[in-house]
Amino acid sequence: MKGKSPKEKGKRSSAKTPRFAFGKTLRTGFVFSFLLFTFSFLLFAQAPQSARGVVRLKVRYKSAAGMKDLPRKRFFLIAGSLDQNKSLLEKLKALNEPSLECFYRSHGASPALIKWLRDGDCESVYCREVEDKYLSGAEAVPEFQKAFEQALTELKDREVARRWLPNYLAPELRSGFYDQKQKTIQALVSEAETTTKTSPMSIMTDRKGTAYLTNIEPGIYTISNLVASETEKTSILWICEREVKATDLGTAMKRPMILSNENDPKVKCEVIEKPLPVCN
Amino acid sequence: MPPVRGLREINKMLASYRHLALTALSRALWPCVIVLFFIGGTGIVGSIAAQTRRRPRPSQPAPQTQAPRGSATRYSAFLHSSDKHKSLGCNECHKIPTAWTAKRNFPDAADFPDHDACVRCHRQQFFTRQAMIGTGPTICTVCHVRAAPREDARFAFGKPNNSAQQAKAKDERQFMIEFPHDKHQNVIAWLHVPTGAQPSRLRGLRQARTLALQSNERTRFVSASFSVPLDDKKPDYNNCSICHQTDMSLAIVALAAPNADPAMLHPFKSMPRTHDSCFNCHWKNQKPIATDCAGCHKAAATFVAELGRKRISAKFAHEGGKGEHVAECTTCHINITRASTTRGLTPDVPVNACASCHRDSKKTTYPKAVTIETELEQFKTTGNCTYCHTEDVGKKKPPPSHDAAVQ
Repeated sequence: MKGKSPKEKGKRSSAKTPRFAFGKTLRTGFVFSFLLFTFSFLLFAQAPQSARGVVRLKVRYKSAAGMKDLPRKRFFLIAGSLDQNKSLLEKLKALNEPSLECFYRSHGASPALIKWLRDGDCESVYCREVEDKYLSGAEAVPEFQKAFEQALTELKDREVARRWLPNYLAPELRSGFYDQKQKTIQALVSEAETTTKTSPMSIMTDRKGTAYLTNIEPGIYTISNLVASETEKTSILWICEREVKATDLGTAMKRPMILSNENDPKVKCEVIEKPLPVCN
Repeated sequence: MPPVRGLREINKMLASYRHLALTALSRALWPCVIVLFFIGGTGIVGSIAAQTRRRPRPSQPAPQTQAPRGSATRYSAFLHSSDKHKSLGCNECHKIPTAWTAKRNFPDAADFPDHDACVRCHRQQFFTRQAMIGTGPTICTVCHVRAAPREDARFAFGKPNNSAQQAKAKDERQFMIEFPHDKHQNVIAWLHVPTGAQPSRLRGLRQARTLALQSNERTRFVSASFSVPLDDKKPDYNNCSICHQTDMSLAIVALAAPNADPAMLHPFKSMPRTHDSCFNCHWKNQKPIATDCAGCHKAAATFVAELGRKRISAKFAHEGGKGEHVAECTTCHINITRASTTRGLTPDVPVNACASCHRDSKKTTYPKAVTIETELEQFKTTGNCTYCHTEDVGKKKPPPSHDAAVQ
């Protein structure tokens, strides 16, 4: 057999070339993707928690007795600016919810029950245990006395009857005010969800009026208590805007967002303060 | 006397006694004998029935399809998740209240369902010859300690169970508890002002001691007890303390002087474990009510109850800090008021919460040993953070958050 012609050899070598080129491309691709992966991994691994934001709320109000912290009130974080949430905010402003006292009076609650609720800053009877002194004697609450008697008949044990007493109260006296308020809040939250396509986050202030909204996607947000919070003489509704930047908790703790019923040029807030209505 | 006599002879003998039946006395006695016979007979039958029947038979429910026969082992465990069981309402088997006066001082689902709940579908698993082979019907051991006709002893139902019943070897439960902290925080007042002869904190400790007696499932910690002096000045944050009291069943060894703090013995809070905590409000009317089991108990494929939470700063004493841990619970547990579920719930206390007091730059009355900076220094020399952490956590490198918190 004759050896292969140079033409044929050339063909052969040219046939080999693409295979070599493919290998090279593969290697380059591999290196590139490895680098890309490493880079993205490092980026992800190093992405500090500060990729998300934190807001420390500090809520206080000026009353006749001086500056006070607003304890145990729920605030909501709604995605979008004040302008973007305009229609929702108009509804907030137009709300005319009854005060706690007016609600309970309209449902025939005794002054003793209203006092018991106010003393504990309670919106419903579930908020604290009914102590013995409210079942008899000078401070007795008639509604509690009646419910206790009914509970005792059924449960037999005096102590159990006292602790389980709220089960035997009429619904509107048990939690009517709270339920009505929650219904309004839920309707507003649902509307916010529909508008913004995200669920509003909520948090409650502690006794010093402080609350943390953590793990927030950076952006512009509306912060509000949605339904005006009752203080001694007034009800206050906050509607504020805040740009949340990526930051950590430590920084947020040092720089709280202060909500107050006083004018503060640093905070973009609309504060609607109304005197509590006089109940009939 | 010959054993058999002729009919004529028997009649003759009976005739000799006929005079008795005809006397006035016998006439009066016969009705009494009949009445006594009935009373006695009923009594005997009744007592036999009483021995056999342990509980009064409830009204007969609608007949149900019998479960198919299967191997005995198949019926050794009860699965709430089986198709048939899932199709039933909880209250078709679990009656509330069960015989509550015997086990609790409040109406509760305190025991397994009655026999009828099982037998109405599983008659074959109870009464066939196959079921009786060996140690008896395996299905009995779902509730009973042994499968025997006269065996009354049942495993403990629910925990804690103060009836001193035996617990099942494998503590695997089929439900998780769903508890929305956010909703409950909304309704519960933040501060409870103790009044009367028994301040709430003392009551809390007493309740905690009761819990301690009921629970004996701790291995990592040593048992200890001490009396906490009543401190009326310390506020009682009702929004948390209504369910979480000092857990006297969980103790760590007290630190040596000069940092000895008796509160360190029992640093943690307990979790509610009985329906009592829920039925206060949810017994009736307030949904989910007591009969709506699924309102709180959510099905889980397998769930091993976690009685103790994983502790990171295991030496933090809620009641300690030399009386200075007076902040409201939600001041440190910053996310709890937004937690809508207990799934994945952690104590969630950022180190920044500790740094608000325990750092050098803060002018506090604490000795230097309790600052985070000192703890970090200690790690550099000993490789262990021992003031706040137990060894398992303390030997790990402090996370960047700790450095950041004290900068």
